[in-house]
Amino acid sequence: MSSKAVIILAIGLPLNLQIECCKAYFKEDIMKRFLSIFLAVTLLMTLVGCSGEKEAEKEIVNDTTAEKNLPILGDNVKFDPNILINNGEPIEIEFWVWDSKEIFQSIVDEFEAIYPNISIKIVSQAWGDYWTKLPLSIQGGNGPALFSVHNSQHDNLINNMEPYDIDIEDLKADFTGVEGHVIDDKVYYIDYGMMTGSIFYNKDMWAEAGLIDSDIPETWDEFTKVAQKLTKKDDDGNIIQAGFNYNSDVKSIIMGLNYQKDQLLFKEDGSTPDIDNKIMNENIQFLIDLYDEYGVGSKDFGISDAESFGQGQSAMVYKWGWYYNQLSNDYPDVNFGVFRTPVPDENVPFAYDRYNGESTIGISAKADDASKEVAQAFIRYFMSNNEALKELCIKYSIFPSKKILADDEEVINHPVLSTIKPVVDRLIWPGPFPGIIETTLQQSFEDVIYNGNDVGTSFANGNKKVITDMEGISFTSVEKKYKHIDNK
Amino acid sequence: MTNRDTLHKQEIFSLKNIVVSGLVLFYIIFIIIPISIAFVGSFHQWNPLKGTYTFNGIENYIRVFNNELFWSSLSNTLVFTFVVILFRIIIGLGIALILYSSIVRCKTFFRAAFYMPVVTPLVAVSFIWVWMYNPQMGLINQILGTHNNWLVNKDTALGSIMVMTIWKDYGYAVVLFLAGLYSLPKDCYEAAKIDGASGVKLFKYITLPLLKPMTLFVVITSIISYLQTYIQILVMTEGGPGTSTYVTSYLIFDEAFVKYNFGYASAISFIMFIVIGMLTFISFKISSEKGGQGNE
Repeated sequence: MSSKAVIILAIGLPLNLQIECCKAYFKEDIMKRFLSIFLAVTLLMTLVGCSGEKEAEKEIVNDTTAEKNLPILGDNVKFDPNILINNGEPIEIEFWVWDSKEIFQSIVDEFEAIYPNISIKIVSQAWGDYWTKLPLSIQGGNGPALFSVHNSQHDNLINNMEPYDIDIEDLKADFTGVEGHVIDDKVYYIDYGMMTGSIFYNKDMWAEAGLIDSDIPETWDEFTKVAQKLTKKDDDGNIIQAGFNYNSDVKSIIMGLNYQKDQLLFKEDGSTPDIDNKIMNENIQFLIDLYDEYGVGSKDFGISDAESFGQGQSAMVYKWGWYYNQLSNDYPDVNFGVFRTPVPDENVPFAYDRYNGESTIGISAKADDASKEVAQAFIRYFMSNNEALKELCIKYSIFPSKKILADDEEVINHPVLSTIKPVVDRLIWPGPFPGIIETTLQQSFEDVIYNGNDVGTSFANGNKKVITDMEGISFTSVEKKYKHIDNK
Repeated sequence: MTNRDTLHKQEIFSLKNIVVSGLVLFYIIFIIIPISIAFVGSFHQWNPLKGTYTFNGIENYIRVFNNELFWSSLSNTLVFTFVVILFRIIIGLGIALILYSSIVRCKTFFRAAFYMPVVTPLVAVSFIWVWMYNPQMGLINQILGTHNNWLVNKDTALGSIMVMTIWKDYGYAVVLFLAGLYSLPKDCYEAAKIDGASGVKLFKYITLPLLKPMTLFVVITSIISYLQTYIQILVMTEGGPGTSTYVTSYLIFDEAFVKYNFGYASAISFIMFIVIGMLTFISFKISSEKGGQGNE
């Protein structure tokens, strides 16, 4: 039998028999070469197999028809598709995102269907890589013309962003919260939606504790009583079910508690953080008392509140809107509901909570003029596309900033958004403050609850640290632009 | 061209010169140049994301020395390094001695088993130990019958990370000490036995002194490694609770890649470069002195 025939036959055999076959018909050195080549080919095929599929590239052609007989979209911010962009000449630009590629792709597909000469290539990068690659590539002049923005990175992006070619008054007429984004009469991005915190509760635990819908608390006193009913302990007094869990995420709730009691995050000058004050100390003590005095949870039980709720260990957590998606995706068995964050008393607070905006798309100031023209047109299309905006808002559980969408049935009926709608007017935005403020808040709280330090001292040290860390960062709060700032 | 010129040209482009040039080029491009850029950058307010690069003299260094967090991080780093090295040597030498003895069979198997944690990725090991330390479902509490929250208690957080690191790295010392034991001259032991030396005396007066070069090697490599510890901090505690488990490398990571204060982070890096260099120099000095004394 020829060696080739042996090889062909051997491939179909189990591995051990393959080896025996090879040994029988080959000398050792030839066998080693054969095995080496086989392993190399297998590895190569594995690597080739692991490579992603190359997306089919859209063929772009000249657009010669300006008048497309298409309707003009939008209310105040309008998009007129009956024009030529880039004189109808073919052009390709990149659009970087860190998430929601499918939703943005559908918007891009609709836009490209109008303009056959335009190709917008969406490039998705993981969050961590995105915020190093994007600023550096834009600075270097070889970045994308369009990119998703998060306002926590405002300081790293703003110097290389192009202002929108949209009338500010039109933006204000269509969207809420535009004023906070105006810089020297220019707007570089706004919010397409507002995210804030709510209380997520386990409905099964609620029913087991004998609670009904009318027991949903509106004040913190009522909340404490409910949390106590939801708490379970074993015979040794160890918690086995927390009524309320805020472990690992105090930074999210504490600012909202402060705003409820008229305490701003920044001092009069709008730039100096103020996390060392009487209201902060009071609210921190309240949170500690929830555990130590009222026994509704423990710093040592369910060290991640998000995971603990998902695993059915904790009955209530305070989380922002993104948590709705995480629960639905990662913990589908949890039967949960959402209600508005409680307030100190029956009076309307200065603000129910703070919100943060999910930002619209940014344009690179270093892109060439043709790319900018495409980018500006796409932005206008995006801002006047109500369906796309609504889809993004529903996906992220954020309340639409576009006024016309506020009364949309899907929005009103969404479990998270329905809690925000009644109070959307009373949510304050401090501005795109740097992430180190939240980090310092969390560290200062851990210094108290885990390291046993005094509240005043910990937050005084934290305040000094955050002021030092913010040197060199040009930031001015927009708290004073809050609609109800005079109620303070 | 004469034969002499041809030969000379061949000598310049010899394999030896090419390889050496490649190594030198590698060091210049990937070590010397980046270190020089970082050193110059440490005298600037430098944020590459914003494109700022403003000279500010020694302000970064002054800020480092005035920063309480730097000193607490440095203290944590030195404590961490000392404790882990100590236990690495004690456990490593102890197990090596047991493996070296005649009472243990399957030495190859045990050698591989003890070395397995060393070759396991540190990130994966750190994640596993986070679960093991979980106060509700963790193995550690179940075995000990306790309810401790090991990684968020300031009294146990750093120690817990040390225990994990010792567990992961002692195998390195086992293998090295075992190699050292196998290389020890047998005649010293025979002579000592003839003189009536027992097990303990053999260990104290023969084994330990002869193992000093290997011990110093383990110490020096461990110092260099543990003074740069940060992965397990990043995964297990993120420097918490509060900032109680910050070590200097984690502080550098925090300043450079979270806050993008490259200038300040570079200043800390250079201070640590000097600290590590000094400790390494001292270790080498002790090593050469001990070696000199041994040769007298």
